[in-house]
This record gives sequence, structure tokens and C-alpha cells, in this order.
Amino acid sequence: MTNSNKSHNMQDNIQGDMADNKSGIATTSRKRSSGINLSRMRKSYALKPLAIGIASVFLTACGEEKQDAQIYTSLEDCKRDFPDAVERCDAAYKTATEEAMRTSPRFNSEYDCEYEFGANQCRTVNTNSGSVFMPFMAGFMVSQLLSPNRYYSQPLYTSYSPYSSYRSRWVTADGNVFSGDIRKRNYKVGSDTLKPKPTVNRTMKRGGFGSSVRAKSSWGSSSRKGSWGG
Amino acid sequence: MFRMPCQPRKGWQQLAGEFGFHFHTMYGEPYWDESAYYQFTLAQIEKDIEDPTAELHQMCLAVVDDVVNSEQLLTRFSIPEAHWGLVRDSWRNRDPSLYSRLDLVYSGTGPAKLLENNADTPTSLYESGFWQWLWLEQQVNAGVLARNADQFNSLQEKLVFRFGEIAQHYQLNQMHFSCCKDTEEDRGTVQYLQDCAREAGIKSDFVFIEDIGLADTGVFTDLADAPITDCFKLYPWEFILREEFGDVLGDAEVNWLEPAWKSIISNKALLPLLWQKFEGHPNLLPSYFADDIPHDAKHSGKWVKKPLFSREGANISLIENGKESELSPGPYGEEGFIVQAFHPLPVFDGNHTLIGSWLVDDMPAGISVREDSNAITQDLSRYLPHIIL
Repeated sequence: MTNSNKSHNMQDNIQGDMADNKSGIATTSRKRSSGINLSRMRKSYALKPLAIGIASVFLTACGEEKQDAQIYTSLEDCKRDFPDAVERCDAAYKTATEEAMRTSPRFNSEYDCEYEFGANQCRTVNTNSGSVFMPFMAGFMVSQLLSPNRYYSQPLYTSYSPYSSYRSRWVTADGNVFSGDIRKRNYKVGSDTLKPKPTVNRTMKRGGFGSSVRAKSSWGSSSRKGSWGG
Repeated sequence: MFRMPCQPRKGWQQLAGEFGFHFHTMYGEPYWDESAYYQFTLAQIEKDIEDPTAELHQMCLAVVDDVVNSEQLLTRFSIPEAHWGLVRDSWRNRDPSLYSRLDLVYSGTGPAKLLENNADTPTSLYESGFWQWLWLEQQVNAGVLARNADQFNSLQEKLVFRFGEIAQHYQLNQMHFSCCKDTEEDRGTVQYLQDCAREAGIKSDFVFIEDIGLADTGVFTDLADAPITDCFKLYPWEFILREEFGDVLGDAEVNWLEPAWKSIISNKALLPLLWQKFEGHPNLLPSYFADDIPHDAKHSGKWVKKPLFSREGANISLIENGKESELSPGPYGEEGFIVQAFHPLPVFDGNHTLIGSWLVDDMPAGISVREDSNAITQDLSRYLPHIIL
């Protein structure tokens, strides 16, 4: 115990030293790193890598520049707002439906899809690799509709399921949930929100990397079988 | 350059646990060894190691430029023909590199000699960039080392900065990190790079090499089916290019770290090419392809024969006056061999000492010192910290 207390004290001193030099780059002729934040290098947990799924992030106002965006639940909604640019609405709607096909959340079973999005809220889509279930597009978000080359349009979804954190909220294809309920139609959003979403992938195969390691590991005369680096 | 015995910090093993340094003892043998340290002068570091490291790196880049522009050399380097385009494009696009480590023979005087360049998958990074740094800070604060003791080690600072540049280059805010299963050392190295990336504002996801998937859309995926668009891989290019998923690399469109052109620098065919191009350079050892040794060298002198690709110091032979004797067995060598003039590692208190000189992109960033009981092959090396005084 004494040992560990001692080492903690030593580190506290170092942290004190570090706090005095926040520039991050050595200001003296020192040839070593000056700005290591020890508390951030601590690992209180056992080293245990996990692939973590996309967690939903509640979008809040902060920092970066925002732009206005509107949500429409039908093409007519949009045209009512832009009577002089109805063809723009047509194009935005078309973009959103195409994006939905490409990026929408998808499930292997109707049950799983309805559990998240509610009864009768999902459709079947046949792909090369079999049938999948996707929620219906519940609205589309547009921004800068009248701008010649910088307009955005993306599909939005909502849930009617009592089990879902998306219930009565607008959610993007990649799981970003907007604050407020679905009656809210005008938002200020950051550029990340408007960026095209990644295509949803179905993994067909794993294990296409690593065969060299399997082959070389079976060679057993080395006293150590460790790093594949050097 | 001296080897100085030193009192280990009390309770350092527990501290290692707190910081996630789990491979300080490997295969029942100590790996991190702070019972001694190496001491250099600033002139030794700057003139004999730092400057030559920067220069050697530029010489290696010049060789890469020659190789990507020559089908004959690409063949010589055993780059599979199907991937010449991939390697060439990564070079012509100037795909950014992160780091590399030159292994140097240096005794404290005379020019350091390049043994090889670990440009693709260098390890011992965490113990260099962070753990030996912490050792110095603590030993100085404890009064064991002089207040003005320094260390050639700006690795962490430079790695964080470089990740920021790479994020800017590829316009990314997330990357995947990957290494093989069942090696705590590699996982620890990759975790350290994830920590550095995080300091640069990059979110990291981890996936084991063996778990990488191929999606119907042609992209690689992690276990959550998320696409892998930008990936650091602690996995050699010579394996990647020859494995099943190597066939679909082009369509997967991943921005890899290290980039594919590092397959040329990490290849031991680099050594004869360097000698061809810069023969007589003070930091180079004479080197030839094994099937192309000049007549006078064939039957005289002392040469070390190494496979183009190898790990763990496997498949090394010594050739003395034309007579070859095997030093270490192994599964490598089918792609060919090179020979390099034998240059002994300096011996300090019975230990053969090797300097690892780090670069982040093209900037020298610090050194690591490893000791081995064996004169040529590195098997159970120990890592010792160093200071500048």
C-alpha cells in the first residue's frame, strides 16, 4: 500500500509540472514530449476491445455554425412552402427516397423492425442477398432548397413503438435523434447532420484477412509467438 | 553512450497495470527492464542519430520512387503484379504515412549503420513514446536522475500532431484501428495509437484483422457492419496483398495507415537498392540480393542473409568466407533473400544493444534501446529506457 501511495504522489507532482506547460510543443530545447496528460493515459479498465454499435446521439445546440432546415411529411407540404419552386421539391423528395433506399436502417426480420419502429411501419425490400425490412420514410429534411448547388435533402424516420427511444421523434438514417417531438418541423442543424449518410452494408463474409498469421503461427520452433509487427 | 545501473521505481508493475501496460513481462521473461538505462550526450543524439535518421528516411523515399516506376523492381520486391497499381497510386497520391522505426547499430562513436527499416508495422511504440517518458519524469522527480536529464522522445507529441494532419488530409473524424487476435503486445500498441488519435479529436473503433468483413456493397466492415473507410492496421502489407480479401482492396477504397507504398520500405529488398543508389554512404552497410552478390564478396567477408519478408528474426543465416550457417529457422524466405555486410552490435555489460530510431512522418521523433543476449537475431529482447545528459 505504501508503495502505491508513493507512486500516486509522484504523479501528482508531474501533473502539476504539466499544468504549467500547456503549449503542447516544447518551448525549451527539450527533446521530449512536454504535454502528456497522464490522467488521460490511465486505463482503469482491463484492456478489452469491443466493436461498439452506433449509439444514438441527441443533437443539441453547440459550437459550430448552423443552418436552417425544414422537415416535410409530404411532397405537398414542401410545395406549399415553395409555390415558385415546386420542381425543387420534386427533386428533394426524389433524393430523399433514393437516399432512404441506400441508407435506411434495415433488419433481418419484420419483428425486429416493428419492435423499433412500430406495427405496420416497415416494408420488405428484396436485395441480392435476400429480403430485408426497412422502416417507411416518415418525412424528409431539406436545407437551402433554393440554393443552386448546395441544397440538402435526407430521409427521416420516426417510431410508433412504445419500446423505442425514437418514439414520436425525428431520427436520421444513422441514428441521430432530434430534440423535441415530431410536431417540430424547423431546426437549426450543423453540417454533420446534413452530410450524406453511409450506405448500409450487409456483411457477406468475414475472415478474408489473417490467413498468413494462421499459416505462420503453426510454425512452432520460436520461443515466442507474439507480435506481427516488428 | 553508457549503460548505467539504476534503482527500479518501487511499485512500477502496479503503475504499469494502472496505465494498461500489460506486456512488460512476456513469455515469462522481463521485457521492460529499468534496472539500468543508457545515457547519451546531446551531440550523440543530434549528430549521430537524429540527423542521419532524417537523411536515411529521405534516401528510402527516393528508392520508393524508383521502385514504383519500374516493373522490374516491383517484381524484385515481390509485390504481386495485381497490386502494382495500388502501391503506385498510394505513392503518386502522396497518401500520408504515420510512423516508422529504423534499426541502427550505434556504439557511441562513428556513424550509426542502418540494419533495417520497420516502416510498415513497428511495435515497441507505447513503451517508447509514453512509458519510458514516464520513467524519466518520475526518476527525476524522485531525485534518482539529475534535474537536467532529458530524453530523445517527442513521439507522443508528434503522433498526436500527425493524426491531426491526417484527419485534415482525409477530412475524417473517425478511424478504425486493427491488429491480430491473441497478441497483447500488438493490441497494446494499437490502443496507444487510438489514445493518440483521440487526443487529435479522432473517434476510434477497433476491429481485429480476422474479424474484418466484406459487405455486399464491396466495402470492408467491422463487427457492427459499419463500413471501414479509414483504417490503421498493425498488419504487414506483404500478408494483406496475398490474402483472400487482398483481391478486393481496390473496390473497398480504404485509406490505410500505413499506406500501401510502405510495402516497399518495409521490404528488405530496400537494403540492396539503397546500397546501389547511395553506395558508400556512411550510414549504410553494403548489401546485395542473394542471387546477385559480386564475385569478390561471394567467397570472402562476413555477411548476414535475411529473407525479403520475415518476422521475429526468423530464417537468418551467417555467411563467412562463402560458407553459410543457419542462425535461426523459420517459415519465411520463399520470396527470396538479401545479404548485408555483418556489422556487430556493440556490447554493454554482456548485452548486444540495438537502437530503434523513430520517425513520425518524416521527422525524427525519438529512440528506443533494446538489448539481446544474441549477437544477430533478436528473440527475447529487453527494452531499456535512456536519457540525455
